Amino acid sequence: MTSRERFKPGTVYVTYIAAAPEAVWQALVDRTFTQQYFFGLSIDIEPRTGGAFRLLMPDGSAHVTGDVIAWEPPRRLDVTWQVAGMKGFDALPACLVSYEIEPAGACVRLTMTESHSWAIPEAILQGGRSGWPQILSSLKSLLETGKPLQIEKKDPPAGFLAAVEHAVATKPWLREDRG
Amino acid sequence: MDDVFKALADPSRRELLDRLRIENGQTLGDLCRRLDMTRQAVSKHLAVLEAANLVAVVWQGREKLHYLNPVPIHEIAERWIGKFERSRLDALADLKRALEAKPGDDE
Repeated sequence: MTSRERFKPGTVYVTYIAAAPEAVWQALVDRTFTQQYFFGLSIDIEPRTGGAFRLLMPDGSAHVTGDVIAWEPPRRLDVTWQVAGMKGFDALPACLVSYEIEPAGACVRLTMTESHSWAIPEAILQGGRSGWPQILSSLKSLLETGKPLQIEKKDPPAGFLAAVEHAVATKPWLREDRG
Repeated sequence: MDDVFKALADPSRRELLDRLRIENGQTLGDLCRRLDMTRQAVSKHLAVLEAANLVAVVWQGREKLHYLNPVPIHEIAERWIGKFERSRLDALADLKRALEAKPGDDE
């Protein structure tokens, strides 16, 4: 079992949503919601700690796979996150994605934290950062207005794929484990 | 949204956001070492940024780490920049970058 302590936050995004915690939770774990705000991906998640987690492409292939590390509705969801649908990515160590839902007055504060078990290069982090603000804004819009935002998948930032290839070739996380 | 504009109106606070963009997850001490500002000033600016939700804070053990949170800026952009304008604006931004980079490249 993966312990949270091994992971250090690399990206932390916060948004306030005018909705009940239960509604935000449902939007995170229900595929009819994720299809609308998460680049068309469908979530497939076993509702228990230790269960399996996947994000599926429209053709049914897995884009992300992982395990449920914390299933605490409607407050906290932690999953390990392995990008499976892109070349080279399955050789990188899985990261940890945590969603925290906290009541904040009439709203909820949703915090998404992407954490890593190794000193992940900035060029790889940037790739993830470009997508999350769109996803979270679209989730907010869906819950508040009933409509997601029109989001478009951009090409990864310059140097992103090269940084992934370099990491896969040199495997710096193996050296860190020894230290 | 007023909080976001007020927070961004100050050049020192924009500088702090730039520092976090370069290296995310810094402590107050980290940020002070690299800036020509007193610790109290940096601490005050960070509190304003945190209140505007432009900086998110994570406690790791006894360390308070600061992370750049661009989500409110993204929400502002979504309000006034629609899907169709975006590609045109991206093209203009690319052009601006290309033109401004040119003198440096020639040297």
